[in-house]
Amino acid sequence: MNQFAYDASPYQIPDYKSDAHRAAWSYLAGPGSWWTGTQRLAIAQASRDSLDCPFCAERKQALSPLSIEGNHNGDPTLTTSSLLVSSLPIKVLDAVHRITTDPARLTESWIQGLIDETFHHGHYVEMVSVIVTLISIDAFHRALGLALEPLPAAQPGQPDRYWPEGAAVDVAWVPMIYPANLSDKESDIYFGAPQMGHVIRAMSLVPDAVRQLNALSAAHYLPTPQVGDMSACGNLTLSRPQTELIAARTSVLNDCFY
Amino acid sequence: MMLRVSSKVEGQEANLEAVVQGRDAHSGVAAEQELLALVEATVGDRPSQTLAKSRTDLADKLGEESLIDAAAVIGNFQRMTRIADGTGIPLDDMVAALSFDLREDLGLNGFGSAGYTPKVNPLKRVLVRLLEPIVLRRMRKQFAKPDASTTVRPT
Repeated sequence: MNQFAYDASPYQIPDYKSDAHRAAWSYLAGPGSWWTGTQRLAIAQASRDSLDCPFCAERKQALSPLSIEGNHNGDPTLTTSSLLVSSLPIKVLDAVHRITTDPARLTESWIQGLIDETFHHGHYVEMVSVIVTLISIDAFHRALGLALEPLPAAQPGQPDRYWPEGAAVDVAWVPMIYPANLSDKESDIYFGAPQMGHVIRAMSLVPDAVRQLNALSAAHYLPTPQVGDMSACGNLTLSRPQTELIAARTSVLNDCFY
Repeated sequence: MMLRVSSKVEGQEANLEAVVQGRDAHSGVAAEQELLALVEATVGDRPSQTLAKSRTDLADKLGEESLIDAAAVIGNFQRMTRIADGTGIPLDDMVAALSFDLREDLGLNGFGSAGYTPKVNPLKRVLVRLLEPIVLRRMRKQFAKPDASTTVRPT
């Protein structure tokens, strides 16, 4: 199947964007460091499903997300505490739905409550990476009125459970790597910069997640090394202030301080 | 913060109220109404019924390529907000210092995730404010002679 062909699209989507989307789909389909390809696609599908989840809609209106109990996707046989939905543990399903639909009210204690002997910070960071990769491309399609691209078939393989030796908890809820602490294996992820923004470092426990983030940023926004140059426009036809107006308004509508 | 600085680099002063108030305020950025309309119609659990019109209006104003780019930027920040909120990162130090007053003025410090960013020392705020013109001047020089590598479209 020719993914992201955009043949039926009324728009001439540039090749570098469709190439980046195909690469992102390949990233989702393959095994990562903490999840198999099948599990990653289950996470992606759950993220899409969450937009139709009545419980998520109700929870988003609640004063506190923890103040109500319910079932995702309205299935009466499932509860948030006991059963599985598809192949995902229920707590993972719940996390995927919360990150997708109500991210501004996530808390450190909630995340730490997820972590146990079977669910490490690596699982969490990679899960976030899968969700946001999907959301970024789905949002592009929605904005242009294009049908969502079907998810790819899972690729075989097992997670390598790679834990970068320089990763440590510093200013965020998850371990991250400072540029000075990169090992040779992930020395490319910050492009040799001596400092790196927290939002890029946030994914660094899973170096491939940073690589994917950089690749999609270059197609949708700016190449990471250009972000700090306020005159840079990357490949965009918009001026930098136009780009930043969109960025800032999108962030505010998501109640995002960052 | 990025909007304010990038506008200053272009020799303009953006009204940042538009970031919070949307189309009711005027940012001073070219085609702001069309850009904000697309964002507001797209972001949310369900695309708004005004989305099709906002696409047409933006394409009419800036062209189809810019519409596609605007959609891509929206997608990018639907992603970045979730990374930030999902990992509890604070603002980067320099951004926090430079944007302190701005965040107060716009009410952004009321967002739940604002709590992850430590308060900025008053002395540091003053120092950063004094140094800001130097930083912006250097940026403006760069803008006058843009690096060709920043604008070339990959083949």
